[in-house]
Amino acid sequence: MKKYTLKRILTSLFTLLAILLVLFILMQLMPGSPFNDEKLNNDQRMALYAKYGLDQPIVVQFFNYVKNMLKGDFGVSYNISKNTPISQLIQTRLPVSIRIGGFAVSLGAVMGLLLGLVAALKHDTIWDSMATVISVIGVSVPSYVFALALSYTLGFKLGWFPMLYKEKLALSSSVLPSIALSMFTMASIARFTRSEMLEVLGSDYMLLAESKGISGSALIFRHALRNALIPIITVLAPLIVDLMTGSLVVEKIFSIPGVGSLLVNAIQSNDYNVVIALSFIYSAMYIGIMLVVDILYGIIDPRIRLTKEGD
Amino acid sequence: MRKTKAALAILTASAMVLSLVGCGGSSAPATDTAAATEAAPADSSAPADSGEGAEVVAGTSDLNIMLETPVQSLDPQQATDGTSFEVIADYTDGLMQMDADGQAVPAIAESYDLSDDGTTYTFHLRDAQWSNGEPVTAADFVFAWQRAVDPAVASEYAYMLSDIGQVKNAEAIIAGDMDKSELGVTAVDDKTLEVQLNVPVSYFLSLMYFPTFYPVNQAFFESCGDTFATSPETTLSNGAFILDSYEPAATAFHLTKNADYWDADRVSLAGLNYQVIQDSQQALMSYQTGDLDLTLVNGEQVDQVQDDPEFTTIGAGYLWYVSPNMDAVPELANLNVRMALTHAIDREAITMDVLKDGSAPTFTAVPMQFAAGPDGSDFSEDQEKFADVCSFDAAKAADYWAKGLEELGISQLNLDMVVDADDAPQKVAQVLKEQWETTLPGLTVNLTVEPKKQRVEDMQNGNFQLGLTRWGPDYADPMTYLGMWITDNSNNYGLWSNADYDAIIAECTTGDLCTDAEGRWARLYDAEKIVMDEAVIFPLYTQCNAEMMSSKVTGVEFHPVALNRVYKNTVKAD
Amino acid sequence: MKIGKSAAAAAAVQNAYVPVDADFRLKDNAGEIAIDTNFSAQSFWKDVFIRYFRKISAVIGLVLIILISAMAVVGPGMNTYTYSEQNLSQKNFAPRVKSLEKLGIFNGNESMKTTTGSKIVNQYEAKGLDDVYYWFGSDNFGRDIWTRTWSGARVSLIIAVAAAVIDMVIGMSYGLISGYFGGKVDMIMQRILEIANGIPRLVIVTLLLLVLQPGMVTIIFALMLTEWVGMSRIARAEMLKLKEQEFVLASRTLGASSFFIIFREILPNIIGPIITQVMFSIPTAIFTEAFLSFVGLGIPVPQCSLGSLISEGFNSFTTHPYQIIPPIVVMALLMLSFNLVADGLREALDPKMKEM
Repeated sequence: MKKYTLKRILTSLFTLLAILLVLFILMQLMPGSPFNDEKLNNDQRMALYAKYGLDQPIVVQFFNYVKNMLKGDFGVSYNISKNTPISQLIQTRLPVSIRIGGFAVSLGAVMGLLLGLVAALKHDTIWDSMATVISVIGVSVPSYVFALALSYTLGFKLGWFPMLYKEKLALSSSVLPSIALSMFTMASIARFTRSEMLEVLGSDYMLLAESKGISGSALIFRHALRNALIPIITVLAPLIVDLMTGSLVVEKIFSIPGVGSLLVNAIQSNDYNVVIALSFIYSAMYIGIMLVVDILYGIIDPRIRLTKEGD
Repeated sequence: MRKTKAALAILTASAMVLSLVGCGGSSAPATDTAAATEAAPADSSAPADSGEGAEVVAGTSDLNIMLETPVQSLDPQQATDGTSFEVIADYTDGLMQMDADGQAVPAIAESYDLSDDGTTYTFHLRDAQWSNGEPVTAADFVFAWQRAVDPAVASEYAYMLSDIGQVKNAEAIIAGDMDKSELGVTAVDDKTLEVQLNVPVSYFLSLMYFPTFYPVNQAFFESCGDTFATSPETTLSNGAFILDSYEPAATAFHLTKNADYWDADRVSLAGLNYQVIQDSQQALMSYQTGDLDLTLVNGEQVDQVQDDPEFTTIGAGYLWYVSPNMDAVPELANLNVRMALTHAIDREAITMDVLKDGSAPTFTAVPMQFAAGPDGSDFSEDQEKFADVCSFDAAKAADYWAKGLEELGISQLNLDMVVDADDAPQKVAQVLKEQWETTLPGLTVNLTVEPKKQRVEDMQNGNFQLGLTRWGPDYADPMTYLGMWITDNSNNYGLWSNADYDAIIAECTTGDLCTDAEGRWARLYDAEKIVMDEAVIFPLYTQCNAEMMSSKVTGVEFHPVALNRVYKNTVKAD
Repeated sequence: MKIGKSAAAAAAVQNAYVPVDADFRLKDNAGEIAIDTNFSAQSFWKDVFIRYFRKISAVIGLVLIILISAMAVVGPGMNTYTYSEQNLSQKNFAPRVKSLEKLGIFNGNESMKTTTGSKIVNQYEAKGLDDVYYWFGSDNFGRDIWTRTWSGARVSLIIAVAAAVIDMVIGMSYGLISGYFGGKVDMIMQRILEIANGIPRLVIVTLLLLVLQPGMVTIIFALMLTEWVGMSRIARAEMLKLKEQEFVLASRTLGASSFFIIFREILPNIIGPIITQVMFSIPTAIFTEAFLSFVGLGIPVPQCSLGSLISEGFNSFTTHPYQIIPPIVVMALLMLSFNLVADGLREALDPKMKEM
């Protein structure tokens, strides 16, 4: 087990480095430079390139970047917030995004599980169809439409929650964005739970448990749900990352000072350093989550560990 | 302290009087006191209920302002965008400040002298303080101006000192040929600043309210290290307000009234509360619930608010135009084709039916309402002047088109137009495409939508056929536009070149006409006529912003140039 | 199932001993290796067919897809408007339908909520246009929303189906090859996949759309680049399940090449999960395209997709809500029906369901 864990961690680190290289190359391919403004003339642009070391060969740039990054220095922002160290920009924003994302995932997971459970237990009834319809609406209406609809009804018409994110009201003003963001998670989890539950319910050991006289909630929660949950953990991980994509637009609509809105602005204004840094952080989080899930999975389900070690 | 508007400024500043007229004929917002028919919602975000009477100048509430984009930089020598300029000016005074009409009025400079040859300004500073108690001295200006031209700082607006301000040696320092200490600005003593120019610059005083020229205290700057102007602790105020909550690229931040401001008696607001809202529908809803006092309104929502007495349109200064690439596209080098294109544009339809934000159709190469002549009238007031070479006329356009195609020996033409990926330009481009294709048989226009940065690069590299672009005035003089189309200017996207035109511009910038305001004005019209006759650009409209401003608020000063909004004299009724 | 038949042939082989090539002499019957696929495949697909049509929701889904696809073909031609034709004097007209207007619905009335109160507006009457009918209303350029909705559905369907099919081919091949060969090959291919998957989708797609010329092909390409990963995972997992099965071993002993085994022996056995995954990835593609439209990287104007229509309508959401409803409803129906079809297919294809 230790050997497997170590191997996984090492490959993850290697993957991260490779991602950094790919990102760096992609950014070089990108047309336009951060210093394209009508008001700049050629000399000024050259001076700016020189100032930020963008006139050096790409290999040198890459090694400088990696070297600095290992020291925790992602460079400075060129455009969004001129000359501000990116680590400073991210410091205050990441917690906000993580908090709202966390709310959204928890809410989505709980609601999704309930919905999926109902659909599976009442398979092929009106309840099943309703759950399907709800989950399809969840995945088919873009989150920005949800966001605005929620803001209009619960925020503007009813006045229950603030329409915009406010630092002083961090909790109540996170409600609407969290709901808007959770829809997609909820829908995906609901669909997945439904199919996993159906599979588990049809399995031999369930038949055995039932024939032994276990019934009702004990049967469903102790035997069925627990087994169905294991694969659900694996889909939850990529969903957390998908959530970040959703957060890009939702953060913009609710004026949330998070990393999502920062990334959108950075892409639109060619702020290379910010784009690379944020993409890298997203990737690192994703790989980190996958790593944890893999290791946990190995602990929960020994079969996985054995086959992997056998490789 | 009282208003010391006297003596100074008015003489030369008359060259750039701005008559602030609301776009599209609506009344100027500063004087709009009409009461709203709708009951004004309670202001939920004001710090406390106030029991003060209306007589007391000092108000107790904050003004709640919506911003479309976050602040990019609070470093006066690094900032380049209107939002940043507005906030910097909230808490910093330069030598001059803008008054309600856009005239330069004394701020940190109490008075000034101008040498007879018009090239040496001597400013006499008043006793003003930074918010850390240090006095504002001439050395602060010298330090700041040297920063602005320092190649190591690489300030994007360095050309405000060189090309535009004509400060002595600025150009050589920017190019790295001279040390920054050689800049033509010296602190004679703590309270006297001397500036030397290469040639007389008629609008020089109006540059002094531009943030690039704002002072920076050297000792404080050095104590901040790399973090200057990234937090309330690393900013110093000598202006009407003090920044008290801010972080880089913040979505919300706040400023409080500066009690030690030299002109504090005139400041009524208790503070400014900024909120960045990128979605315009959220902004309007927030305004309706009373969370905002001032907000932008998007074109679609104008339908919802146009009957509201709090609705107003404000000139934003930008000229939007189409630039044809005459160098790379042989078909566009044909004058008849260009004439056909410009005559086929129905500018009124674009502004009235699509934008609806009060933007004014424009038939001149210099937009309206930002540059006033020696007699005080707007440079582009007469929109009929070049109407015969660009106004909408389907028949005329078709004639030119037929003639042009015949000369080229073709019957069909495909053109690509690069457009910003923003909302308004995309809308305008779609209408242009439709108008052109309907009026000019055989023409197909393809739209290439790109992020703005890339569109600008494509145009600067000449990698385009038609480009929809805009230009905002940097200073209150037509030269901020006409200077663009000289040979080899980087913003002369079409790579058009005309020796007569270049000669006129040279004559008006550094030549004989520098000191002859009226003669210069007449020559500038000659230059503009060449641009229009040759259809070097197809002007479309002068941008206006549709805004909602609470009826409780008066005295917000709007300007199309430099500082878009000034709140020093704003009063918000409780 | 053919698995059972092949299993019988190799039943005697124990795990303890792995036969190597040297143990066997090849029988010269290259043409007959695949002989057993025909018979079982036929009855299998017939089974699937029957099971599929027994499920009402799956049938409804299929009917809806056919209906929407048909409308996407004929819808834009049902009136005289075109998707790009603007009529600025007739913009923001509320929906009006000839026979329904007398019933008080779809009569061109619109209740406008202004900051000074609501008012009922009827643009048709205000401008005296008696025989102008916009069935779904007109947008802010005076374009017919009916025509645009169905042309948008057409574009979205083409993008989604094309992206999903290309995904399938690439992802499936990648997953199958990686899973079959295992060991070093699998290791390297999985690392590449992890890298491709580790970069946020939005970043890849955005950068790609900036580098390449925007347009339908580019969007399909961008979607393809990001969506094949899921497909390859499924293919690989299925391959890992099947590759130790006896029928594979049997085929190998009969001298089949690796690629023959992957694509002729194993592929037909996993086509069920693959098709199901394609059905699920079509709505994902439609959805991703909608997201791209929102950040301004969608289909170039004035062309439209459901996504770009939604993001256009989004700007008038609080002003003219009727503009966003048609594309959202069509999109939701499409997503719903693809999901229903996918669910139906999965259940019809899954042998476990059969046992139940």
